[in-house]
Amino acid sequence: MNEFFVVVGLGLCLLVFLVLYRVIFGPGVFNRIAAVSAIGTKSLIILLIFGYIYNRVEMFIDISMVYALLNFIGCIAAAKYLEMER
Amino acid sequence: MEVTLFIHAADDAFRILEKAKERAVGLLDTATKLTSETRWMEEKKVHAILKGAQETKSGFQNFVATFLMLFGFWALLSGKFDAFHLFLGVVCSLIIAYLSYDLLFANVRVGDVRIIVQRFIGYIPWLIREIVMSNFHVAYLALSPKMPIDPKVITFRTKLESDISWVTLANSITLTPGTITMDIEGREFMVHALDGKVADDLDTGEMEDRVAHIFMEADHIYIQDVLDVSRVFAKLKRGM
Amino acid sequence: MIISSDDIIIKTIARIFVPFIQLFALYVIMHGHYSPGGGFQGGVILGASLVLLLITHGYEEMRRRVPEGAVILLGSLGLLIYSGIGLTCLLLGGNYLDYSQLSVILHVDPAHARAMGILGIELGVAFAVMAAVCSIFFDISTGGILPEDEK
Repeated sequence: MNEFFVVVGLGLCLLVFLVLYRVIFGPGVFNRIAAVSAIGTKSLIILLIFGYIYNRVEMFIDISMVYALLNFIGCIAAAKYLEMER
Repeated sequence: MEVTLFIHAADDAFRILEKAKERAVGLLDTATKLTSETRWMEEKKVHAILKGAQETKSGFQNFVATFLMLFGFWALLSGKFDAFHLFLGVVCSLIIAYLSYDLLFANVRVGDVRIIVQRFIGYIPWLIREIVMSNFHVAYLALSPKMPIDPKVITFRTKLESDISWVTLANSITLTPGTITMDIEGREFMVHALDGKVADDLDTGEMEDRVAHIFMEADHIYIQDVLDVSRVFAKLKRGM
Repeated sequence: MIISSDDIIIKTIARIFVPFIQLFALYVIMHGHYSPGGGFQGGVILGASLVLLLITHGYEEMRRRVPEGAVILLGSLGLLIYSGIGLTCLLLGGNYLDYSQLSVILHVDPAHARAMGILGIELGVAFAVMAAVCSIFFDISTGGILPEDEK
């Protein structure tokens, strides 16, 4: 069962590298914000997979929840700042 | 010589008439403003009495409901059920429920909270089934070599009333792959759909009917509403 | 001067989330022994919940719920709790922040007294961190100009 999750984790890492293209080359700042938010959701799942592999899921769930919260709040704050800047 | 005197006199007379006309117009303006202000103040008084009667009953219920939800969340997070940690959970939930009880259940009609929570929990499996089926369709669209998408923006008016039902509908539409809610202006939803089939699935209005069924809007009359109105009416008769 | 957002989705979701975020912050503080967390992390999450309320509902609503004086008072209270526990341990005959001396007051054995002492200190630290985050954000968002001065 561990090998299955390792393969899934590697697949998600590959997807993260694909989205990284938009972070670097995205024309404009809105593309970059959306791409960073997408990377955030994938890294949540990768954290949980790490937790499962090390057999300590309950610890990594707390960290994942905190990161999900901060991702959400950061996305809204960035959008608010850009709206006010216009 | 008499002509110039006459012209000066006529000039003064016209100036006096102008001033009188301006004064009359000013008086009429003040009169209309006063009557409309008194009417507006009467309406505000009635509105305040209505709101006050509803809020006294619902404040305590909101507090208890918020406390129970927060304590359930704490018990879910912390796996330890010994007395010390449960006591800490009760204290923390009480403090937070006291500080923000009007945040969670702001617009819910009084007395309906239990039924809404039950129906909401029953709605989730249907939503998951819709998401899985749309997933297959969008994956087929994205992976086929021609990529037969046909993106369009749909605007529709909704029959739902309260803001939390709008938000539930908007989130359900966004969670289902193929459709994304762009904006809500008043009661108009602006949705971006990926091709004709997902747009047709949205147009049938089944999701909207189910969300209206959760929050008990647009289709039912409840005895609790009649009882609430009678309490409010009694208070109005006393207050006015 | 931050005005409230016109988007109804963000306003509703933010107002539903804020009690749960605060409860999660208190959970992180209280379970500092067993899982990742503790005082600093919980204080930052608590401050982040108030920042979320500020950016979605505007400055007036925020001032109505959490007056700025209350935030600074909470920060000082946190510092008072921290140094108060330390001084109590000093007055009871041990070193500064030597929690085993607290077993005299709390009537438990020294191991439990250490756990309680650390919990109290984490609470003080969390309040101080929350007050710092909140007051910095309030000051930056208004630019030092209060609404009364603008009128």
